[in-house]
Amino acid sequence: MDKKTVRTIAHLSRLTFEEKNEEKITNDLNNIIKFVDQLNDVDTADIEPLTSPLEKTAKTRSDNVNAENRKEVFLNNAPSSNEDYILVPRVVE
Amino acid sequence: MSIQFKTIKELKKMLQSKEISNKEMLEDTFSLIEDNKHLNAFITLNKEASLKKAENLDNNPSELPLAGIPIAQKDLFCTKDLRTTCGSNMLSNFIPPYSATVIENLEKAGCISVGKTNMDEFAMGSSTETSFFGNTENPWGQGLVPGGSSGGSASAVAAGIVPAASGTDTGGSIRQPASLCGITGLKPTYGRISRWGMIAFASSLDQAGPMARTAEDCALMLNEMCSHDSKDTTSLDENIPDFTKNLNSSIRGIKIGLVKEFDLSKLDSDVVKVFEESKKHYESLGAEFVEISLPNITLSVPTYYVVAPAECSSNLSRFDGVKFGRRCENPKDLEDLYVRSRSEGFGDEVKRRILIGSYVLSAGFYDAYYKKAQQVRRLIKNDFVAAFEKVDVIMSPTTRGTAFKAGSMGNDPIQMYLEDLFTIPANLAGLPAMSVPNGIVNNKPLGMQLIGNFLEESKILQVAHSYQTSTDWHLKTPNGEIS
Repeated sequence: MDKKTVRTIAHLSRLTFEEKNEEKITNDLNNIIKFVDQLNDVDTADIEPLTSPLEKTAKTRSDNVNAENRKEVFLNNAPSSNEDYILVPRVVE
Repeated sequence: MSIQFKTIKELKKMLQSKEISNKEMLEDTFSLIEDNKHLNAFITLNKEASLKKAENLDNNPSELPLAGIPIAQKDLFCTKDLRTTCGSNMLSNFIPPYSATVIENLEKAGCISVGKTNMDEFAMGSSTETSFFGNTENPWGQGLVPGGSSGGSASAVAAGIVPAASGTDTGGSIRQPASLCGITGLKPTYGRISRWGMIAFASSLDQAGPMARTAEDCALMLNEMCSHDSKDTTSLDENIPDFTKNLNSSIRGIKIGLVKEFDLSKLDSDVVKVFEESKKHYESLGAEFVEISLPNITLSVPTYYVVAPAECSSNLSRFDGVKFGRRCENPKDLEDLYVRSRSEGFGDEVKRRILIGSYVLSAGFYDAYYKKAQQVRRLIKNDFVAAFEKVDVIMSPTTRGTAFKAGSMGNDPIQMYLEDLFTIPANLAGLPAMSVPNGIVNNKPLGMQLIGNFLEESKILQVAHSYQTSTDWHLKTPNGEIS
């Protein structure tokens, strides 16, 4: 993994860091990737990936309204809002 | 009589006999918190509401199973109207509009949530050094880490402030701090306890559980924490037994597995000696040891460091500075708002894991890393399934050694990752596992791990309880006395 790859995944992750830390971050990530690379030595042909230890079909619940509308509470939790919406910088000019 | 170092069972007795009032018990708890402020075990206290609840209980006595018992809650569980930070600057101003199901369950059983405990940021760490709110200290020694990520909960119980606390365990975050602080901690079977309202780190691994002084108290807590919850699709719809019921059954004839692949010769000889003595003790109680092989278990840590970061990078994408949590000052556009809110809100370890996760999930690498790790994860689970055909429980040390000094792991993240060598496999397989104090080396406590088969929390609790009714390691306190 080179600095360019690190910049790409940082962009994908919507993260940025100071240039002076770039070397250390690239090194750390390379070491971690090298560490997990030992998985490549395992023969996993025909092994079904295990996504969850439960392996049970998720139970669905009936589609009923069972929560009250607490718009005000949630709007109050937002960093910026008016009485109806959560506000962000203008996207469309 | 002081409430310090008392168990839930003892505190219940004190309340029932009116030796102490509910209000006095809570006042004493907050005095203990104040006296132990240097530990930095708590991020937020819930003093006013707690004292009010206690006063209510004095006026209207309750028969609820945990009525009036002061409990500390890991700051990863949403608590209605009480700040919930997850140890992060990102949520340093977050006041949840609802409580996690497990918090509701405990409070419905009468518990009083006295405060929110410190933790590694978003539960990513094994020493509580990655918290935005500073390190927590282990009461067993100045400058020692309590382990992590549930380090604040472990420290508060070990200091005798509260009899029990909630924790969460994704790769060892209940069991490792329990070992390093000399307390008892249990991670249940994946799905036993609802994850609703638990701030997610790695959804296929995260599981909440109790941390207490004894296996018996863990059972009392677990009885109230478990429930089937329609709000969590991975919540188990299985019979929930009374976990205290089998505690006193004899363990004569029980088969305990020892993992051939765990190379103990690399551990400190004093640590190995503690483990060998525990084996001898179990033999004296009538248990039989059987060597088992888990051929893929040595791949657990690398498997975990693909699966956990992948799930973390996905879960933590919700923290974007828009709907709740921290937003950067004066964003110039939406992209700038996302990038700066996240970069200012997250600490180094969290960022590192998000980056690893984004990498292993990115196009071109998904099969080589994420899919591969999930395949190895199945091999590891299959090993356990085969082993449990031969044994009732599996025993190992919980940690490689005792508590280490803050800062001593240096700058190499992999050294810290290896701290969870013995604990990670149970998370990958979804099995219940606990840590039980079994010795002291250089004045620092140490724990052993008991892993059970799926849904067999009662069995490991029974094996732990039989040890605790015939030894006193769990009663040792940091001040050198026996509680």
